[in-house]
Amino acid sequence: MSEKSGPIKVLMAKPGLDFHTWGVTIVSLALRDAGMEVIYIGPQDPEQIVQTAIQEDVDVVGLSLLSSTHMRLIPKITELLRARGADDMLVVLGGVFPPEDIPLLKEAGVDEVFLPGSELDNIANYIKGNARRKKAAV
Amino acid sequence: MSVKTKSRERKEVFTTNSGIPVKSIYTPTDTANLDYERDLGYPGEKPYVRGIYPTMYRGKLWTIRQFSGLDTPEETNQRFRFEYENGSTGLALAIDNLGLTGFDPDHPLAEYELGIGGVSVSTLQDMETIFEGLPIEKLGVAVIQGITTACSHTALYFALAEKRGIKLSEVDGTTEGDPVSYGGCGPLPHTFPPRHLLRLGVDLVEWCAQNTPRWHPVSYTSYNYRETGVSAYQEIAGLFAAAIDYIDEELKRNRLTADDFASKFTFHLSAHNDFFEEIAKYRAARRMWYKIMTGRYKATDPRALTLRFHVQTAGSTHTYQQPLNNIVRIAYQVLAAALGGAQSIHANSYDEAICNPTEKSVLMSIRTQQIAQLETNIANVIDPLGGSYYIEWLTNEIEEKAWDYLKKIEEQGGWFGAIESGWLYKERIDTQREHARKLANGELTVVGVNCFKMDEEPHQVEVFRPNPKAYEIQRAKFEKLKKERDNIRVQRALDQLARVSEGKENVMPEVMEAVRAYAGIGEISNVWRNVFGVDNPTWL
Repeated sequence: MSEKSGPIKVLMAKPGLDFHTWGVTIVSLALRDAGMEVIYIGPQDPEQIVQTAIQEDVDVVGLSLLSSTHMRLIPKITELLRARGADDMLVVLGGVFPPEDIPLLKEAGVDEVFLPGSELDNIANYIKGNARRKKAAV
Repeated sequence: MSVKTKSRERKEVFTTNSGIPVKSIYTPTDTANLDYERDLGYPGEKPYVRGIYPTMYRGKLWTIRQFSGLDTPEETNQRFRFEYENGSTGLALAIDNLGLTGFDPDHPLAEYELGIGGVSVSTLQDMETIFEGLPIEKLGVAVIQGITTACSHTALYFALAEKRGIKLSEVDGTTEGDPVSYGGCGPLPHTFPPRHLLRLGVDLVEWCAQNTPRWHPVSYTSYNYRETGVSAYQEIAGLFAAAIDYIDEELKRNRLTADDFASKFTFHLSAHNDFFEEIAKYRAARRMWYKIMTGRYKATDPRALTLRFHVQTAGSTHTYQQPLNNIVRIAYQVLAAALGGAQSIHANSYDEAICNPTEKSVLMSIRTQQIAQLETNIANVIDPLGGSYYIEWLTNEIEEKAWDYLKKIEEQGGWFGAIESGWLYKERIDTQREHARKLANGELTVVGVNCFKMDEEPHQVEVFRPNPKAYEIQRAKFEKLKKERDNIRVQRALDQLARVSEGKENVMPEVMEAVRAYAGIGEISNVWRNVFGVDNPTWL
């Protein structure tokens, strides 16, 4: 069991080519305001996201998608994280998803899904409560 | 004279969506300085506040132009036929994220992004399929793409027109490919640095002014910029700042007059939730454009002085929760656009906060517009709100604030200067933080989101699913095409394009040759990535 100290480190990214960045920008800023260290890398391919997450040794991978590509891209990312032994990172997803896809996303390895209308405080509190717990548990 | 309200009001301050404080009532005092002939005039006459044509909707109803594109070209062809058969009077082609970014179906991201957010359009072959059996000579077609592929996707459409026997001098329609969306929503991944994008956009404007006189080579689109949360007056200030950069860039080349090319411009605005503010915005925008073109550029062609615009209802106002409520929001927004004198309207679909629209929801959008056109009688009288104390006061107010904001942008070196310095991005983030604050503290109310929430959704919408086979189909078609086309001709065209791109000549003749030879959008964009380099933006 490895206990990390210091601020929670979060990688924020938009998988693929989704250009809708309002949500991810606001959430990134809110997490920063809540005392976390946030790295936001914009739209990137799955490989790039996973590489950056490992290189930066983050606690949390925050992904945002509003383009109907979630069932193609998210499982690819969680699979890569698992394959590289980085599945102790908390994976949090925000954006637009048909309700029936949410259980499938969680099955694929997403820890929590935040839909439109989610309050920023709730997102920050969820991450604070779970980021290190997941790392400690693995 | 002032009207005092003695009784207690619901709030301390009432404001518009853009934060402009408003009084309880407006009276002649608020419009005392208005000179009818100078400030309003008649429809089709300067300063065009009341409308750009003398007869407006009594002559021709606004065009019902739904922005559509999905999966493969075959599926989009079916969707376009469905819309045309159900009374759409124009078409707008939505291109997928892969195409917009300038990639072909053999790019590694195609597996995820092909056919998403629009249809896969890589080569002339795709254009041929999309418009098969549709009378494009009768329908104004808008080709909607980002600034990255403005030249190449437009060239694909021109090449299609040529194959259909339509002369370039006759081809009618619009390119969106605009700098407002790019700067207003950017940064964008995998594209060229801003100054090269400006050059390409202006090359298209210049070439079209000389070769395709009936084509609108750019539709300055503040819609997307507004969708990032900025205000009504920021929206139109950004719109004009970007247009000014294009005009100045072309005039620097000493090849054309402002009348020659600004007469081809069109615009694409948003219809947001604040009903009267949006109507005032359209009216203010027409007056500002008239002043910019006459004051700065001494233009005289009425087509260069008049703001021809398309309106799209604001997707960002839709809610994921209680999705059928979006039908009502969309209808109000269509009404505002029509009362504001739009030339064409896209009504969004109620399911777009959840997925891409289904055929069923698109039909509802078309019917929403038809009901407004044919049942409400709003199209009987031109600018029916003109003369309202409130509307005239608000029109002046928005115009004044937009001039102020335009000045701020110009102090940053214009639209492209404000992109390069990062100022525009910082401004947008400030606005977005403010919006988040208002949503959290309830200053901003959104039904179903921060009030009147329901634990269980009252309606389930049918969810559109992208075709999982689209990638395989398009990739196979592209690979086959690459084997069958004249690859020597393609390579020669791409080499020529690289040579011209390095210099100052217009790139369009070479882009046309490349697409006629069936080069892909990605192959063309790669030439530019090599010559111009790829922008490496800061994301936060």
